[in-house]
Amino acid sequence: MWSKNPDSDRHTIRRYTAWAGWLLAPAYVLGALALYAAFLYAPTERVMGDVQRIFYFHVGSAWNAFLAFLVVFLASIAYLRTGRIKWDQLAVASTEVGVVFTTITLVTGSIWAKPIWFTWWPWGDPRVTTTLVLWLMYVSYLILRSSLPEGDQKYRFCAVLGIVGFINVPIVWMSIRWWRTHHPVVITSSGMNLEARMVHALFISVFAFAALYAALLCLRTSMRLQERLTREMEVEVMAE
Amino acid sequence: MSPARSALDGLGLIWTLAEKDLRIELRSRQAFFTTLFFSFLILMVFNFAFDPASPATRKAAPGILWVALIFPGVIQLNRSFQSEREEGTLLGVLLSPMDRGLIFFGKFLANWIFLLVVDLLTLVIFMAVYNFSLTSATLWMLLLILLSSLGFAAVGTLFGAMVSNLRTREVLLPILLFPIVIPVILAAVNGSTEVLLGEKFRFLFQWIKILVAFDVIFLAASYLVFEYVVEES
Repeated sequence: MWSKNPDSDRHTIRRYTAWAGWLLAPAYVLGALALYAAFLYAPTERVMGDVQRIFYFHVGSAWNAFLAFLVVFLASIAYLRTGRIKWDQLAVASTEVGVVFTTITLVTGSIWAKPIWFTWWPWGDPRVTTTLVLWLMYVSYLILRSSLPEGDQKYRFCAVLGIVGFINVPIVWMSIRWWRTHHPVVITSSGMNLEARMVHALFISVFAFAALYAALLCLRTSMRLQERLTREMEVEVMAE
Repeated sequence: MSPARSALDGLGLIWTLAEKDLRIELRSRQAFFTTLFFSFLILMVFNFAFDPASPATRKAAPGILWVALIFPGVIQLNRSFQSEREEGTLLGVLLSPMDRGLIFFGKFLANWIFLLVVDLLTLVIFMAVYNFSLTSATLWMLLLILLSSLGFAAVGTLFGAMVSNLRTREVLLPILLFPIVIPVILAAVNGSTEVLLGEKFRFLFQWIKILVAFDVIFLAASYLVFEYVVEES
C-alpha cells in the first residue's frame, strides 16, 4: 500500500514545494495587476456599467477550472497506468482547486446575471448549466474521496471517476444545448465587442488565475504527500 | 481458436453470468417488488403533490415518469454487487479465468434486463394513473426506455461495483450516479414529452442520438476501467 521508497517521496515533496514557492510570486504580482487592470485600467462598459468588471474574474476562474479538470483526467489516466501515488495526489489537488474555481465562476456569473439578464440563474445559457453539472460531478468526486478508506482502492476509484466524469462533458454540453433550443430562447448572449484595454485586462486576469491555480496545485499536492509521509513515519515509529 | 469462435464463447460467458443474477432474482423476487413498489409510490406522491386534473401537471407528467424510473433503479444497482460481496461470490467470479471486461458485461446485462422489466411495468401503471392512451407513438416510448436504461445500467453497474463494500453505499451511489446521467435524464424527459403529449416530433431524433452516444461511450468506458474497480488490493 505504501510506497517502498520514502526517499523518492521526499524528493517529489521537495520538488512540489519548490515549484509552489516559485509560482506564488507570479500569482501575487499578476493578481495585483489583474485587480488594477479590471478596476482602473479597463474602461467602464457603456451599457452594463461597472458590474461588467466582474467578467474578468469570471472568465479567469472559468477557463482555469476547465484546465483543472483536464489535469484531473490526465493525472487519473497516469495513475491507473503507473500506479504511482503522486499522480493520484495531483488529481485530487486539481479537483479541489477546480471545484473552488468553478464555485467562483458560478457565483460571479450569478452576480453579473441578476442586473444584466434579470435573473440569478440563467438556465437558458448552456455554458452556465454545463458548468453547474461540472460542479456537481466534481463535488461528488470529493464526497466519494472522503467516504473511502485510505489505500490503493480509494485512489483507483477516484481515478475512474475522474476519467468518466471528464468524458461526459461533451455529452452534457450537447444535451443541454438541445434542451434549451427546445424552449423559447429568452436570453441571447450577444457577442461582446471588447475594447483593446478590456482584452488586456481579461488576459492578465486569466494568467493571474492560471498562476494561482498552478501554485495552489503544487501546494496541495506537496501537502498531501507530506501528510502521507508523516503517517508512514508514525507507523514506523510505532513498529519500533 | 478463431476470433469468431472466441467472440461466441465470450457472449456465452456474459450470458452465463447474467443468467445467474437473473435466476437469483427470479427466485427471491426481493429487489423486484421493492423497486416496482417504490416506483409506484413515487407516481402516487406526485399525484398528491400536484393537482392531477390540472393541465400543468399533465405537461410535467413525462418528468414525473422519469423520476419514478430513475430513483428506484438505484436500489437494484446497489444490490447487484452487494450480495456478491456479502456471499463472497465476487471473488469466485474474479478468480475464474475470464476477461474482467466480460464480468462487467454480465453484470450490466442482468441489471439492464431487470431495469427494463421494472420500467415497462412502471410505464403501464403511469399511463393508467395519468390517463394517457395507447397510440402508435407509444412505441417510441419503448425505444426511449430501452436506450436510457442501457446508459443508466452501464454507469450504474460500474459505480455499483465501486460502492458495494462501503457502509454509506445507499447514499453514495445516487450521489455519484445522478450528476453523470444528467444527459440521459434530459434526453429521456424531453423525448418522451414529445411522444406522450402528442406533439409533432421536432427533436425526438436528436434526443435519441444523444442517448445512443451516451450508451456507446459509457459502455466502452466502463468496460475499459472496470478491471480497476474490482481488482482486490
